[in-house]
Amino acid sequence: MFIRLLLIAVCILVANLLPAADAPDIDEQTRAIAQELRCVVCQNLSIADSPSEMAQQMRGIVKEQLQAGKTAQEVKNFFVSKYGEWVLLAPTAQGFSLFLWVLPFVVLITGVGLALWLVRRWSAKKKTDTDSLGNPEMLIRVRSEAAKDTTVKINPEDSSPHAQLLQERARLYAEIRELEFDFQAGKLAESDYGMLKLEIENKAAVVLRQLDASSSSQPSRAKSSASQPTRQSADRREKPSRRYRGWQLAAGAAFLLLFGLTLGVVLTNSLRPRESIEDTITGDFLTGTGGGENAQLLAQGRAAFAKQDWPKAIEAFKKVLTVDPNQPEAHAYMGYILAQAGHADGAIMAFEKALAQVPNFPMALWGKGMILLREKQDYASARETLAKLVPLLPAGTERNEVEKILAELPQSATPPSQKAGVSAPSPGQQISGRITIDPQLKGRLNSGATLFIIARPAGSTKGAPLAVKKIDRPVFPLSYSLGAENVMMQGVSFSGKVTVIARIDTDGNPTTREAGDLSGDYKKNPVAVGSKNVDIVIDQVAQ
Amino acid sequence: MAWRRLILSVLVIAPVLWLLAFGFTRDARYIHSPLLAKQAAPFTVTLFDGRQVRLEDLRGKAVFLNFWASWCTPCRAEAKDLEAAWQQIKDRNMVFLGVALQDREQDARAFLQEFNITYANGRDESGKIAVDYGVWGIPESFFIDPQGRITYKHVGGIRASLVTAKLQEAASGIVSAKEGKEDYQPIR
Repeated sequence: MFIRLLLIAVCILVANLLPAADAPDIDEQTRAIAQELRCVVCQNLSIADSPSEMAQQMRGIVKEQLQAGKTAQEVKNFFVSKYGEWVLLAPTAQGFSLFLWVLPFVVLITGVGLALWLVRRWSAKKKTDTDSLGNPEMLIRVRSEAAKDTTVKINPEDSSPHAQLLQERARLYAEIRELEFDFQAGKLAESDYGMLKLEIENKAAVVLRQLDASSSSQPSRAKSSASQPTRQSADRREKPSRRYRGWQLAAGAAFLLLFGLTLGVVLTNSLRPRESIEDTITGDFLTGTGGGENAQLLAQGRAAFAKQDWPKAIEAFKKVLTVDPNQPEAHAYMGYILAQAGHADGAIMAFEKALAQVPNFPMALWGKGMILLREKQDYASARETLAKLVPLLPAGTERNEVEKILAELPQSATPPSQKAGVSAPSPGQQISGRITIDPQLKGRLNSGATLFIIARPAGSTKGAPLAVKKIDRPVFPLSYSLGAENVMMQGVSFSGKVTVIARIDTDGNPTTREAGDLSGDYKKNPVAVGSKNVDIVIDQVAQ
Repeated sequence: MAWRRLILSVLVIAPVLWLLAFGFTRDARYIHSPLLAKQAAPFTVTLFDGRQVRLEDLRGKAVFLNFWASWCTPCRAEAKDLEAAWQQIKDRNMVFLGVALQDREQDARAFLQEFNITYANGRDESGKIAVDYGVWGIPESFFIDPQGRITYKHVGGIRASLVTAKLQEAASGIVSAKEGKEDYQPIR
């Protein structure tokens, strides 16, 4: 009875313990599987390591499936069936993925094999060289030949290796004899003499061995080592070897050059600074996700626009439009550039071209809306345009800004900037004066010319101007005033010291300077905003 | 000897270059879906109006399944197009089903109201439906034929004309050879 009770108690205890033992096991298993699955919204992070919401949800699914009794392999197979093999951080050793597993070992084995082969080759070469050192027979031969003082006739113009060896042998023999003489004359200590002599004799032994090797392959050379026919035969033997070495070097150099160029071109074109956390350093280059050359041009244009390098931006966007005349982004950017230059009508046309392609293009809607509002003061059209923009913007600062502008629009006929607390330009924020033209240049004045009055911050000669006023078909002399309403960038105040110039442009584009354009500047530049009588004489011709 | 060396060099260098080219020509972020031409995973979603929709109940109809979120800019850009496409085909034997992902209910509802979306929409709270469809970037759209097979997948914003054309293909059981791709936003 007691035993039965004990058995029941043990069974109950075990039954109670089992789920408790299972729990950590499932968590551990979940973690182990999660470490093998790639997070689909991160870069090379497992779902175990990723803090993203998606990874959390995926971990939840792993755990749920394990609890439902699925094996680890079944869970992984489930994710593979949804996302493909990509989702596995360690690819399976099957099909193409097998190659990824095998390749490192193949490279390693090949590398080790190559290294061993090279080491063996080098050591074999060294061995043949060092074999002569310390060889008593060779040393005896060196001593006897050096003592004989036999002169060998050597052609000094002969540059073959055999002749060079003969010259070297003769030089070393002479050195041994000189050493002997110095020792006999008491100029050298016995220990120094012995050491130096052995050193030179060893060198001579190496040369002798090389000479023997060279002679055994060409017996005729041994008989008459300095003779002309031998030199010719040596040349014949050496030439193909030299040619071969030359070919090898040239091929190696060409390959290295080609490899370097390819790598240089690929890397410089494909790598770039990340524009955001989600961006990659390779961007769209070669990935098939971009639009090829046009996408690159577009990127160049955007970069130039951001740096306010207008000519470069115009050039890039024009090229884009040559390839694809309907590219909406290029049209929109051109719209902004034209707007900056004071061409409200041209800008609206450009924005409309962009919107004809993509009716919900936020960038073009914003540009068009703001020009209609600020430049044209066509509030009805501005409202219509900006109203289209609101639903396209996610809730946030930008959307609030547009909504604020829209809210202010219907209240009066005046531009909202005045209602928003930005006061209308007062005379104190203006620069005024007269513009005249040099009588000698009057003949050059084109009837369709456009006058631009440009103010740049003092000391600045490049980049976007602070303010620009455009006057079509100017009649000189004319009075002008430049104020806050002419400022190019929204939010920038028209104050401080500025450089004022006037330019008559023949093509109506202030960002390009062409031969024949007339210009003039205020002689006392820079001038403080608020100054009057800032008179300019147009007296220069662009070359 | 020279030829042997040349061939050996080519044999060593060519695979290395090929490997480099292979790496550079792939978009590491893009996940090719294995779901094309496969049976669509069954699911049940509770719509914002309280009704429940089971995908299996839609057999016999061509289904346009769209994953979206109110915080996703390309989703906002396509919203009006999708409603326009729905208005064009709603009287045919076709169904539109929107599934909001990683979104708060109030934000998702505000989105639907803002764009006057009239087709069926629900929320995938656990993210299971999204995983079942291998979703990784939104908006992501799937076209399912009357037999329940996925005929086309599109990652990123989609135009009304493409929606109607691909639905037509789905209704005829035509499976597209490739997936479509436009501007998308990775899910969170």
